[in-house]
Amino acid sequence: MAASRWVRMGAAAGVVTIFLALVGLIGGFTDVYLIGDQITFAGLMLVLPAFAAGLVAAAPRVEGGERHEMRFVEAITAAAVAGAAAGAVFGATMILADVIGVERIRTVFLNVSPQLMEFVTFGQATLVGAVIIVVMSTVAGVLGGALRVAPTSVRRPVTVAVMATLLFGFLQRVIPIALDQLKLERDWLYSVSFDGLTWIGAIVVGAVAAGVSVLKGRFGTQLRGRVAGIRGRTGPAVSPGVLVAGVFALALLIAAPMLLGSVISEVLGTVMVFALLGIGLNIVVGYAGLLDLGYVFFFALGAYSLALLTGATLNAYGIPPDPAISGHLNFYVAIPIVMLIAAAAGVLVGAPVLRLRGDYLALVTLGLGEMVTVLVGSPWLVPLVGGPSGMRGITDAAIGGLAFRDPQRFYYLALAFVGLAAFISWRLATSRIGRAWTAMREDEQTADAMGISTTRFKLLAFSIGGAIGSLGGALFAVKIGSLTPASFQVLVSIQVLGLVILGGMGSIPGVLVGALVLVGLPGLLREFEEYRFLAYGAAVVAVMVLRPQGLVPNVRRSRELQDEERAQDEWAKAAEEGETPPEIATATGATT
Amino acid sequence: MPVVGTDAVLEVRGLQKHFGGLYALSGLDMDVRRGEIVSVIGPNGAGKSTLFNVITGIYEPDAGDIRYGDASIVGLRPHQVVKLGIARTFQNVRLFANMTILENAMVGQHCRSRGGVFGSILRTPGVRAEEERIRERAKEALSFFGKRLSGYRLEQPAFSLSYANRRRLEMARALATDPQLLLLDEPTAGMNPRETLELRDHIVRMRDELGLTVIVIEHDMRVVKGVSDRVVACDYGQKIAEGTYDEVAHDERVIEAYLGTKAND
Repeated sequence: MAASRWVRMGAAAGVVTIFLALVGLIGGFTDVYLIGDQITFAGLMLVLPAFAAGLVAAAPRVEGGERHEMRFVEAITAAAVAGAAAGAVFGATMILADVIGVERIRTVFLNVSPQLMEFVTFGQATLVGAVIIVVMSTVAGVLGGALRVAPTSVRRPVTVAVMATLLFGFLQRVIPIALDQLKLERDWLYSVSFDGLTWIGAIVVGAVAAGVSVLKGRFGTQLRGRVAGIRGRTGPAVSPGVLVAGVFALALLIAAPMLLGSVISEVLGTVMVFALLGIGLNIVVGYAGLLDLGYVFFFALGAYSLALLTGATLNAYGIPPDPAISGHLNFYVAIPIVMLIAAAAGVLVGAPVLRLRGDYLALVTLGLGEMVTVLVGSPWLVPLVGGPSGMRGITDAAIGGLAFRDPQRFYYLALAFVGLAAFISWRLATSRIGRAWTAMREDEQTADAMGISTTRFKLLAFSIGGAIGSLGGALFAVKIGSLTPASFQVLVSIQVLGLVILGGMGSIPGVLVGALVLVGLPGLLREFEEYRFLAYGAAVVAVMVLRPQGLVPNVRRSRELQDEERAQDEWAKAAEEGETPPEIATATGATT
Repeated sequence: MPVVGTDAVLEVRGLQKHFGGLYALSGLDMDVRRGEIVSVIGPNGAGKSTLFNVITGIYEPDAGDIRYGDASIVGLRPHQVVKLGIARTFQNVRLFANMTILENAMVGQHCRSRGGVFGSILRTPGVRAEEERIRERAKEALSFFGKRLSGYRLEQPAFSLSYANRRRLEMARALATDPQLLLLDEPTAGMNPRETLELRDHIVRMRDELGLTVIVIEHDMRVVKGVSDRVVACDYGQKIAEGTYDEVAHDERVIEAYLGTKAND
């Protein structure tokens, strides 16, 4: 019984591997070295599904509300069976492909190339290659299973170490530049001939990461308790880990462009624009709970109104270059006006739309977003926004001769605005207004019955979110200096929503991480440009399944939940024993 | 005929509400005087909860009038009704489950505060003082139930509470809106006998200590007997009897509504 389940899991993993091969994620990356000249991205993709299958097969099962932990031998067997099944499915497919003929398959699946076959057979005959694949997959599965049944004290450092090493491997275009800038020796860490990490580098990175993880596990709680003690009764204390990470992240954010040079700063500038959009949309989706799929509306509104207010010219031929409406304001004078326009537009657009809920609201806003794309490209608006050929000559936001078009300088401009938006968002979230939004998101009718004007607060969220989104649009315009409708597609809405979900709805650090992962990584890893949207989809699905609260969830709340559970348990136990329940001081520092 | 007191805070006249062909309220009259506890009883489907929903503005009546103080409150939105001083609880407890207990109560103070967008962003002294006041008032409302909702529990999420405590929190949240008239919809439903008795005392305290006027929908006759200054019995969306507990309990129409008529009648 159980064995057939393991085989099914493994087979599913095998199918995933086949899929990865067919879309080219294996064949196309045989020379992207992560560690030494042995571990390539392609190799990783080849065994990763089998590893995952082992991990899942060895996981405790919940049946009828009961949790079945697996014994060690059983778990390893399960993982091995799953891994072998994955390898068998892929190996069988290889043999099949060989029988049919690679050239024939290639007419349909472009990525099935002789190079791919060469790689997956390890240069051997297909049958031998298939056997090697089965063995490798079995080993990967066993490793996955072993990791799953290992005690937490082992599992956590190992996981952290592997993840850190892989991350360093992926960032082979980023970290060496920073090391060069700092005049640090880099050849021991990154291989000169293969670009990836050297083995020594990999071991050092892994060891450091594991060490940090162990130390955190051992002293983290202690330290947190002490800090909570110092902070006393003033409310939930920030854990030192979060504090250190926060300071470090901030320092990194400020130093990044100087460390990483202008090419990567360019990418980081885009990340910041999207972070700004994310912070805005987070107010609408994360705080107020309104699913808005047409956020590109505010992005476009901000970009084009800034262009018009600061005297950009039309790109179209055969008509006068000046737009029908044109101002010649300074960027910093124009920005508040742009935001006001967006806020007003938020109210105008929101008023009829916000009576709808959930799916209906999503559909209507999706339509609104699409309208913007059509409008800015339409012949009808050529005299105003230049139609398909757009506008150019947008201000560079100069302050007394200091222009911000240069990627490194632009980054700081954008960072300043992100900081401002994050501050506004944070202050609102922790105020009476944020409380009203939360209540409304939890239960709209009850919020109304408790005295919250839901219409008013929905409009407020829509217009504040819109104003921040327009800021993102305005900065985007400054960044690229010209505008075309192609930049204002519905995909922008989806991307921003994706990064908000990925990071964790309602969390500002989450938005930053989401933007870095969804916008930054694809920008840094140019080879993966084509797979951007595949990765988006996979990332969002994975987050929804594995970690619905997002990568960096609303910290305070999620930590509280764990503490409260403990407090509840103690309370319940005491009550069962017939004692007066003790007053329990929770680790968040809230005592009676 | 309704007893029309000169000091009636709430006057309900000829109230009608139907959903399709179903008449939940068909011409209900009712008066509530300041500082009294009125129980509304009746079999399931008698229109009791609909009455609350119409008073609080969740439904708009098809006909009839509701006067609170000097003005009609028909057509007001729920949040406007709360602001006038009418708070309620729900038959099926409706808390903001993922907000903390304190935050739940603080939401109640929303309609008594006014901090705006710019004040909140800049955190002006006025807004800060107001926030502090909201917090204190919310704690005060929670402390009405003694230690049950206070202390370390303030920072717990509402969903972690026991069923009885959820009902208490819902009442505390309503108290935090600084009401004059409180509508309790089956406050003891699902509580054990001990909790029920305790709550009975709490309802009386709401009148005596907080000076509230209370309308309570209740099925537990010990509670009805224990708290009511007056009892109004409804059936088929109309008032069928009114008076002290003893008068209503022995009213033939009330007995008939609950037990049915004899087969040979």
